[in-house]
Amino acid sequence: MIEIIKNPNIAFIPKRKYTFILSGVLVLLGVLGFIFILIGKANMGMDFTGGAEIIGKFDKPVTAQELRNALSDVGYAQATIQSVSGHGFENSFIIRVQGKIENAVPDTTITAEGKTVVNMIAAEGDKLATLLKEAIASHFGDNKFRLDSTNNISGKVGEQLAKDATWAVILAFLGIMIYIWIRFDFRFGVASTVATFHDVLVMLGIYFILQREVSLLFITALLTIAGYSLTDKVVVFDRIRENLKQFRKRSDYGTTVNNSINEVLSRTIITSFTTVLAVLAILIFGGKILFDFALALIIGIMVGTYSSIFLASPILVEWENRSPRRVK
Amino acid sequence: MARSQITWIAIIVISIIVSIILLYPSIVFYTQDQAALKRNTPPEYYSLKSKALRLGLDLQGGVHMVLQVKGTQGGMATKELVDQVKNILEIRIDKFGIAEPDIRTSGADQIVVDLPGYTDIDTAKALIGSTAQLQFKLLKTGDEAQAIAKAIDSVMVLALIKEGKIPERENAPPAQTPSDTAKGIESIFGEASKDTSQEMMTEEEFEENQPFSALLTDWTGRWWYLPMENYYQVMQYLERPEVQAIIPANVQVTFGTRAEKRGDRQFQAIYFLNKNIEMTGDAIVDVRENYDQMRRPVVNFELNSEGARTFGRLTGNHINEPLAIVIDGRVESAPNIQSRITKQGQITMGGEANIADAYLLAVLLKAGALPAEVELLQSTIIGPSLGQDSINKGKIAAVVGVLAVMGFLAIYYGLSGIIADIAIALNVLFVLAFMVIPGVNATLTMPGIAGLILTVGMADDANVIIFERIREELRSGKTVKAAIDTGYAKALLTIIDSHVTTLISALFLFIFGSGPVRGFAVTLSVGIFISLFTALFVTKAVFDMRKQYKSLSI
Repeated sequence: MIEIIKNPNIAFIPKRKYTFILSGVLVLLGVLGFIFILIGKANMGMDFTGGAEIIGKFDKPVTAQELRNALSDVGYAQATIQSVSGHGFENSFIIRVQGKIENAVPDTTITAEGKTVVNMIAAEGDKLATLLKEAIASHFGDNKFRLDSTNNISGKVGEQLAKDATWAVILAFLGIMIYIWIRFDFRFGVASTVATFHDVLVMLGIYFILQREVSLLFITALLTIAGYSLTDKVVVFDRIRENLKQFRKRSDYGTTVNNSINEVLSRTIITSFTTVLAVLAILIFGGKILFDFALALIIGIMVGTYSSIFLASPILVEWENRSPRRVK
Repeated sequence: MARSQITWIAIIVISIIVSIILLYPSIVFYTQDQAALKRNTPPEYYSLKSKALRLGLDLQGGVHMVLQVKGTQGGMATKELVDQVKNILEIRIDKFGIAEPDIRTSGADQIVVDLPGYTDIDTAKALIGSTAQLQFKLLKTGDEAQAIAKAIDSVMVLALIKEGKIPERENAPPAQTPSDTAKGIESIFGEASKDTSQEMMTEEEFEENQPFSALLTDWTGRWWYLPMENYYQVMQYLERPEVQAIIPANVQVTFGTRAEKRGDRQFQAIYFLNKNIEMTGDAIVDVRENYDQMRRPVVNFELNSEGARTFGRLTGNHINEPLAIVIDGRVESAPNIQSRITKQGQITMGGEANIADAYLLAVLLKAGALPAEVELLQSTIIGPSLGQDSINKGKIAAVVGVLAVMGFLAIYYGLSGIIADIAIALNVLFVLAFMVIPGVNATLTMPGIAGLILTVGMADDANVIIFERIREELRSGKTVKAAIDTGYAKALLTIIDSHVTTLISALFLFIFGSGPVRGFAVTLSVGIFISLFTALFVTKAVFDMRKQYKSLSI
C-alpha cells in the first residue's frame, strides 16, 4: 500500500493567523483586479471588448515585423500579431484588432426616409481581411496570404456575456450556500461560500498580476473552480460534522476540526493531484485556445485546495471561539 | 452471488451494451474517409452523420452568427417579431441548400445561426443579414441629378471654407450664379447652379470649387461611378446636416449593391432616385435565377394579377426610362424599360454579379423580406484546418490526461485502482453515449473535451473518497468485509453532497452560458452525474465480490 503521508497530524488550525493574513493580501489583489476589470483597464479578451481576429497562412516565410509594417500601412498599427505553430500552420499568423476601430469604413445605406443606417456593424474582420490582402499583395508580391478563420464580435455581445456571467456566479453561489445550509448548518454554508469566493478573487488577482487575458473561458474556469472548491470543502466539512458528533464532549472544537482535516488530507491531496494531472494534459497538448483556460484551472485547483485546509475550516473555529454554540 | 449483485451487474452490462450501440454510428463515421463517403454515397453519409456524435463548429469548421432583431419603433423586438425573422431565416437557409443548420433564439431578441461545415462567410452574411426588401423606383433625370450634385458642391465649398480646409477666394462659388442647363429643378431649389466650364480651372481649383462632384469620376447620363477610394469621403459629405438639408425631400441618394472592377480599380455606382416607391416585391409569386440573351445572370420573377396590373401601368408609362431595382436600400441595377411588362419581369444583376449572386437573390426574394432590421453582433468562421487541428490537439490531450490519471490510480491503489480505472473508462463511454441519445443530441466542442478531461480528474474523487475510507477502516483493524461495508456507507453521503454542489455550479454555467461555455457545462454536468453512477454501482458491484477475500489490494 502506497501512502502519501502516514497518519498525518499536522497542526493546521493554530497557524490560522498567518494564513488569514496571506489570504487577505491575495484577496486584496483580487479586489484590485476586479476594480480594474470594472473600469476596463484589465487585459480584457475580445469576447468582452469586441473586435476582429483573423487566422491565415502565407505561402512563404514572413517575419512578424514585416507583417506589422504591412498592417501599419493600412491603418492597423494597433493590431496584435501572433505566429501560430504546429503541423499545417507553418507561416501562419493570428491578427487581432480589439475594441472599436476608428478608421473603419462603415457599410452604410441611406434608407427611404433619408436616414443613414449601418448595415453590418460587426463586419470589421472582413474589412481587416480585405485591407490586409491588399497590403500584403503590395508588400509581399507573390507570397499569398490565405485566410483560414475569421471572428468578428460586436462589443454588445460582451455586455450580454458579462451580464450572464455575473448572474451565473451570483446564483451558483446562492444555490450552493443554501444547499450546504440545508445539509449542514448556516455557519458551514457561510464558511464554505466565503472560502470559495476567496478562491475566485485570488484567481482574479493572480491573473491580474500575470496580465493574462480575461476571456469568456476564464470566467468559465472561475465557475468550474467554484464548483470544484466547494466539493473540496464539503468533503472536509462532512468529516468535521461526523467527528463533532462523537468527540464534542472530550475535545475542544479546534482540535476536532484539525483532526478532521488530517483524516481527509490524503483524499484532498490525491483528488487535487489527479485533477491537476488531467488539466496539465490540456495545458500542454490542448493548444492555444485552451492554454489559458487550463492555466486558470490549475491555479484554481491549488488555491481551492489551500483554502479548504487553511481558510474554510479555520473560519469555523474562529466563529465558534467568538460565539460558542451550546452543546447539542 | 446475492440477488441484488446480479441485478446490478445486469444493469451495468446493459448500460455498456446500450452505450456501444449508441456510439456505433459515430465510430463508423469518424473512422472512415468522410469526404469520400459524401462523394460516393451521399444518403449513407447523411444518415450516418445524423446518428453520429455532433461536433461543434470549433471542431468541424463552419459559420457562427449572432443577430439582434431591432424593434420596429426603435424599442425592443417582440417575441413574435423575433420568431418571424427566425422563420424566414430558416426558409432562406433551407432553400439555399445548406445542410444541418442550427437556428435558435437566444435571450429576448437575439438569433443564433450555426452553419456547420459551411465556410463562405460572405454568402452566409448576405443570406442571413439581408432584409431583402425589394422596391422599384424611378431615377431623377440626368439634369436633375447634375443639379443636385452641384448644389451639394456649393454647400460643401462654403462648409470647407468655414472649416479652413480650402482657402477663401474673391470669386463666389459657382452655385450662386444662375444656370441655364438645370432649369428643370429651379422649382426645387428656387435658385439653380451654373455649369462652370472646367477647362478654365486647374485640377486643384476644380476640386476646391466642386469638392463633391470631383469625387464622382464617371457620368453615365443618369448616374455616376466613383472610385472605391472616394467612397468613404462621399459618405461623409452626404451625412453632413447642411448637405442633407439641400437634398430635395423627394430625392433618395443611394449606391449600387456591389462594386465593379475596371482594370485594377474598383468603382461604386451612386444614384439619385425618386423617393416614391412605385412598387414592392410583395406581389412576387415565383422567382428563378437564369441567364439573359447576353449570358448575363438575371433573376426572373412572376407577379400575381394585381401586381401585374401595377407593374404594367408603371412600365407602360415610363418606356425608355431606367427603372431602379432597389434591394435593401441599394440599387441592384437600373435597366431601361424597353416595353410594357406585366406578369413576367426580369432583374438584371448589377456589377460583376455571377449566377451564384442571382441564385442568392432568388432565394432571398422567394423566402420573403425580413419584417425587421437585424444587426450582426457576431460572425465567426472557423476554417477546416483550424478545426482539424483542434480535433488532433483535443484527442492527444484527452488520451494523455486520461492515461495519466489511470496510471496514477493503478500505481497508488493497486488492484482497486484498476477497478477505479475501469469505472473511469466506463464514465467516458457513458458520457459520450449520453450525448448521442436521440433527443439529447449534445454537441462536442473543444471546451467540451476539456470538460470531459476535467470530469475524469474529478470523477475519481468519488472512488478516492471510498478507497481512503476503506483504508481507514482497515487500519482500525476491521475485516475486509466490514471495511468495505462501512467504507461505502460512510462515504455515500459525502459523495452525494460533493457531487450535488458541483452539479449546481455546472447547472448555472449551462443556463447562463453561451457557445463554448455551454459545451463545457454539458460534458461537465453529464460527467459528474455519471461518475456518481459508476462509483456507487460499478465499483460497488466489484467490491461486493471482493468482500470474501482475506486481504485487499487498495
